[in-house]
Amino acid sequence: MNEKELNIFLIDDNDIDIVVNTKLLKLANITSRIRSFTNGADALQYIGGNFEELDKYLNVILIDIQMPVLNGFDVFEKYMEFPDEVRKKCKVFLLSSSIDRNDIQKAEDNEEIIKVLEKPLDVYLLKRLVSA
Amino acid sequence: MSNKKINVLYLDDEEHNLTSFKAAYRREYNIFTTTSANEAVQVLSENEIHVVISDQKMPNLSGVEFFELIIPDFPDPVRILLTGYADIEAVIDAINKGQVYRYVAKPWNETDLKITIQNAFELYNNRIQLKQQNVEIQKAYNELEKFVYSASHDLRAPLVSILGVLKLARTENIEGKPAEYFGMIERTVNQLDGFVQNIISYYQNLKKGEILASIDCALFLDEITQHFEFFEGADNIRFNKMVQQDGELNLDEMRLKMILNNLLSNAIKYRDETKSDSSVDISMQSDANSLKLVVKDNGIGMNREDRMKAFEMFFRASERCTGSGIGLFIVKEAVDKMGGEISVSSELGQGAEFEVVIPNKR
Repeated sequence: MNEKELNIFLIDDNDIDIVVNTKLLKLANITSRIRSFTNGADALQYIGGNFEELDKYLNVILIDIQMPVLNGFDVFEKYMEFPDEVRKKCKVFLLSSSIDRNDIQKAEDNEEIIKVLEKPLDVYLLKRLVSA
Repeated sequence: MSNKKINVLYLDDEEHNLTSFKAAYRREYNIFTTTSANEAVQVLSENEIHVVISDQKMPNLSGVEFFELIIPDFPDPVRILLTGYADIEAVIDAINKGQVYRYVAKPWNETDLKITIQNAFELYNNRIQLKQQNVEIQKAYNELEKFVYSASHDLRAPLVSILGVLKLARTENIEGKPAEYFGMIERTVNQLDGFVQNIISYYQNLKKGEILASIDCALFLDEITQHFEFFEGADNIRFNKMVQQDGELNLDEMRLKMILNNLLSNAIKYRDETKSDSSVDISMQSDANSLKLVVKDNGIGMNREDRMKAFEMFFRASERCTGSGIGLFIVKEAVDKMGGEISVSSELGQGAEFEVVIPNKR
């Protein structure tokens, strides 16, 4: 079990989903530390540039798959360019409203993606998977 | 059959054979003749040749060798070999390998050869037609695939957003009329979402092979049943879960999900509202050989006739429910794809019990 507090990064172009997921996470008392981004580039820039913050928490990155410009897989690919010591501190999940098997398979073949979570987010499932 | 003239290419090292062939058939066919294999290839590349006839015995290259040479670039023209009886073994071999459609003994009989050419042309036309149809089928299939993909994203995404908002509203304990209205919206959205998901999974099931994953039955069951927590009517139902997992279980997780989702939603939908103790028993038992999944309810049940038709597409046994009648059909298809068996036992008013047995793909 990890004692560190959760620090969640939510990357989703859909602002309604961001509001909903942020609130659901807060209401379930999972963490109050939630940072949201409506595009992958901003998120990556932030994550890559705040190593001290990452060091303090158990970081969870939630990336929506269906986004314009950089989709979830693109964002993840760029994330993988981060050095090991950054990635070691993060747990990555993809979010999807689709149930496309190819997408899910593609994601779950990768060891650094913990799971593809369906929307709306099941916060308790997330919590369980993070602490597993 | 089309009225267009048949284009025939004839390769033979003996000039006089070419001449007599032309003399016999020039009225009926467009005839191209040559004594050189290279020239023959040239003709093939410049004309739509329907039928290629070649002599077997030629000084540099046999007829069979010539056919072997042209098959990669010109697979469509139908090939006929002209030969004396001496080379019969080479001919049999060529026919068996599919290089030659027919062989015609020399000297040829004019009528027989004509029939052979006609038949060859018919075959040519059929092949071309089949090819075109295949292209069209492939195109239609690709479009369907694209539709399913975009349907799964674009149709579902807004529904899922709405469901998220509703979930939030519920979590924030909104009460009174608004809660009631939200409940109605949620029910309707769930219904539509269920249908969209079913259609998508049906097409995915149709096409895709199995993707195996190691399954933790307890976790799997928890994950699925959680989805049903807020399903219409689920609050009055007692869910009894039983898991007995012996060793590793490898199965197509998505299909298993599809199956359990449908069985559960049916168990809830077809509950018996006159009973005060509605229950759904779900059990998963696995060993080295198989997984046995049983979903048993004490709902309204089915009579014998309905039981027979339960797995048919768009069949609905009950008028009171909102289903589209595609659920059990999908379940059956998915079970078949996984090499399993499904059975149902049910009596009217006595509930229904579905039993699925799927081989463990360790």
